[in-house]
Amino acid sequence: MIYLSQLLGNPVYDVEGERIGRVTDLGIATGEVFPRVTALAVEGPGRTPLMISWRKYVEDFDEDEITLKVVATDIRFSYLQPDEVLVARDLLNKQIVDTRGMRVVRVNDLKLSDTSSSQLRLLGAEVGTRGILRSLSPALESVVCKAARAMGHPIQERIIAWNYMDLLERDLSNVKLSVSHKTLDELHPADIADIIERLDPRLRGQVFAQLDEEMAAEAMAEIDDDELAATLVSGMEDAAASRVLSEMDPDDAAELVSELDYERAEKLLSLMGVKDRAAISQLLGYREDTAGRIMTQELVAVDEHGTVADAIAALRSLEEGFESVRYVYLVDEEHRITGVITLVELLTNEPETPLAKLATTKPMTMSPEDDQEDVAENIAKYNLLAMPVVDDDGKLLGIVTVDDALEVLQEEHEEDLQIAGSTAGASPDDRGGLLSQMLTSEMWVFFWAVAATICCLAAGALTGDYLQGLVVAVALPFALRTADVMARYAINSYLEYDEDDEDAPTLLGFALKGVAVSGVFAAVVVLVLKGMEGVIDNFATKGAVLFGADQGLMVDLVTDKLLLGFKVAAITCVLSFVTAPAYLMVLRNRDRAGDETSGAAMRGVALCVASLVFVALALVLLTGKVG
Amino acid sequence: MKLDPRRVLGAMGPGMVAALAGADAGGVAAYSNSGALYGYGLLWTVPIMCLLLIVAQETAARMGCVTGKGFASLIREQFGVRLSALAMLALLVSNATVTLSEFAGIASGMALFGVPTYVSVPLAALAIWMLSMSGSYRRIEKILLAISCVFVTYVIAGFMVGPDWGRAFHDTLIPPVYAEPQYLSLIVALVGTTIAPWMIFLAQSNVVERDAREDDIPYQRIDTVTGSVVASAISWFIILVTGTVLHPAGIVVEGAEDAAAALAPLVGDYAQALFGAGLIGASFLAACVLPGITSSAICEAFGWERGADRSWQEAPVYRGIITAILALSAAVVLMPNANLFGIMMAAQVINGVLLPVLLVFMVGIASDRHVMGRYANSGAWNALTWFTIVSVTILTIIMFVLQALGW
Repeated sequence: MIYLSQLLGNPVYDVEGERIGRVTDLGIATGEVFPRVTALAVEGPGRTPLMISWRKYVEDFDEDEITLKVVATDIRFSYLQPDEVLVARDLLNKQIVDTRGMRVVRVNDLKLSDTSSSQLRLLGAEVGTRGILRSLSPALESVVCKAARAMGHPIQERIIAWNYMDLLERDLSNVKLSVSHKTLDELHPADIADIIERLDPRLRGQVFAQLDEEMAAEAMAEIDDDELAATLVSGMEDAAASRVLSEMDPDDAAELVSELDYERAEKLLSLMGVKDRAAISQLLGYREDTAGRIMTQELVAVDEHGTVADAIAALRSLEEGFESVRYVYLVDEEHRITGVITLVELLTNEPETPLAKLATTKPMTMSPEDDQEDVAENIAKYNLLAMPVVDDDGKLLGIVTVDDALEVLQEEHEEDLQIAGSTAGASPDDRGGLLSQMLTSEMWVFFWAVAATICCLAAGALTGDYLQGLVVAVALPFALRTADVMARYAINSYLEYDEDDEDAPTLLGFALKGVAVSGVFAAVVVLVLKGMEGVIDNFATKGAVLFGADQGLMVDLVTDKLLLGFKVAAITCVLSFVTAPAYLMVLRNRDRAGDETSGAAMRGVALCVASLVFVALALVLLTGKVG
Repeated sequence: MKLDPRRVLGAMGPGMVAALAGADAGGVAAYSNSGALYGYGLLWTVPIMCLLLIVAQETAARMGCVTGKGFASLIREQFGVRLSALAMLALLVSNATVTLSEFAGIASGMALFGVPTYVSVPLAALAIWMLSMSGSYRRIEKILLAISCVFVTYVIAGFMVGPDWGRAFHDTLIPPVYAEPQYLSLIVALVGTTIAPWMIFLAQSNVVERDAREDDIPYQRIDTVTGSVVASAISWFIILVTGTVLHPAGIVVEGAEDAAAALAPLVGDYAQALFGAGLIGASFLAACVLPGITSSAICEAFGWERGADRSWQEAPVYRGIITAILALSAAVVLMPNANLFGIMMAAQVINGVLLPVLLVFMVGIASDRHVMGRYANSGAWNALTWFTIVSVTILTIIMFVLQALGW
């Protein structure tokens, strides 16, 4: 067992002990699972690079030196063969894809093994911490490993065998690989998409270019980040990009094209085949987030008068790469949908059975203008695998399949979560975090602290009495918390109802309800406080008579200014709810424009406005009273 | 060659951001100190520093455009594990001290508003930690940048305080010489704060993230040059104002309130509030950016998962480094009787001392034709980079020798 880091730089001696140079690299033959080392690269005198055959000339090797079988003058130099890879140049320190662990890693060292006296094979690439430590210093590695073992957490080597490596920066397509070699394009498209998302932008393009078109198309469809996918397409050559788009399902392609800038999209569409272009253009004709946008035209429709045999014949004649078939649809002469049959029904019935007898008539359908979320919900509700989309005359336009519906539901769910304020960051990973949860849900405290400080300082500057401002600010949490409630009221209403729903309350109704409820609540609070003022007044004035006049001043401050504060808070509360429709409209407009909205930001705005209104009102009333 | 105006605007930004973020705690401290101690005596460094800043930033951006890789990646692939470890250690130490100085900046800025250090630092540390962990500081980046534009007021103040323009320009062109360790350490600090290693990494990663290509190089150059010139102009005016107001009055800048006093002729009693806001804004922004850049570079060099969208399980090292840098910086600033302004100055000196280490790597990669092809460094660029490396090294040695001799 020997590591490349231990070999590099070692002196090379010929059979007579004459120094020839130092080791700079090893060449391996790539055809095997554990490739043989076939060549030795040496830096000769005067920094001349030399390459010699390992099998022919190397007599012995160890951690200190390499000795050759012959004298220096007898060596015949060779060249790097097409199927050879230089391990130090192409592998060491480079980023590779571990196609088994499906991660992008950096090669820290290479592990070699001597299978016979002079034959050396590459066992794999070391990508773990031990490789780094060993390269720093072998002594450091052994010290750290011993220490780790003593602590009960031994550091394992992380070796990736050659057949599970995909070299990102070197195109291996010219290299003969072993049958069992698993490269990137043999992974599942969803995994390829994950790996691509983790690379630097430049490398993304390069890796993508290495995939064949079918794989590229499938991986492209799996990339979650639409913007990233669009950037990838923009980076490709026109011809290649249009071929990838043609390979994609029309609905995925349409989504991607809609992210591109107009000129580029037109250009790519014009390069595509007539059929593919028509399919994509038709989808693009529908608004975003509608059934029309996500439906596919790849479906099986047969004449309603046919038999099971006809339907099966139609299925058999489908071309390769056709979208998965879930149902066979029956249509009349006008291509209007009349029924639907499951594949199981076709398989379990005699070939001569008329289809009309088996079909479920009057199937559930939707219009291309319907919201994609409604389609997804109906697919879930009626346990369908695909939902037919028909035009106003009942003509079958396409189907929305369950996988697209799931994607829609997931997207909408994430959006809703973000608006509802349960996430602090953009990604679902950092959704947790009790601290960030507390910070976002209780953020009014910070607004209170700042607004109370401003209120106190401003009241002091205007009236000379800092205490007044502070006493007034006691009521601030009431104003802030109700502003928070108002923001949530708007957010909930937005999440619960769709603008176009029939049962959705009108904007006016929404506004009136908010103002009325908040008005009642504010009135109750003020009345309770008024009652309390009476109680305090009653007992405190009696106390003041007993204990002296200073108390009277305190009582005035407590009852008068405290009540003033709560009145201001009550007004602020109602004013907050007056603005509620504005928040709802902002949410809806941003949704229509396709922007993501953070619920926490919305609430922050509401709190900020409430703080300002409260402080301004309080100051006006305070100075008014004094003046 | 014809330039497309739309692409000029598109490329604009990163250089400007780096320039404005450069006027952070350490920068303001170093410039104010220079003016207060030596009047116009250090103005000559500004144009030279501007040129060297352009060289460093342009090289970084060009490397990014040509290779599509980050600086750390290139160091690792060209120089192997051992030398990368050295480079990353230099970067880690330098950036950790700068982060420390940013915390000192936040603390002294808040102190101008009456907020004690033991309140401001833990709060700021927590906020910065959450922002840099989630990567969401980008949402408030513009606000912080706008706040740090406060330092542009030095330019206005420069015209208000009535400096001796003749002498200022004279001293800008012809350097007066003082053989004092303090003078030399100030020069090293000025180098460290102007050509900060983290700005080089930031400039390159900005280019890589946008996947700029070779044909974007001219646009990147425009961005780099404008950013550097703006940054240098601001620093020139800070030295000018402090040199005019503080130096004749014999005020030594020992704290933020002294430095703020330089703005008093312009805004009077509001000088402290204005200076404090600017200091907090710039320091906060830099403190949000720095730990992420450092951690990202180290993880890039050693192949560990990185990025704000990775969880603790996926990227423990990335998140660990950020957390460690922030915790350490906050802890040091919180030490009782810490001299905040002293910390800011010392951090810039350390930055200056470590700069040559990273520049050697940079010049090594940028002049390698195997990596850079026909965009490899020209002779002039190599000479200027080596000039920076050699002169900073010599200055550092003289500085330490003078200090050892007890001058």
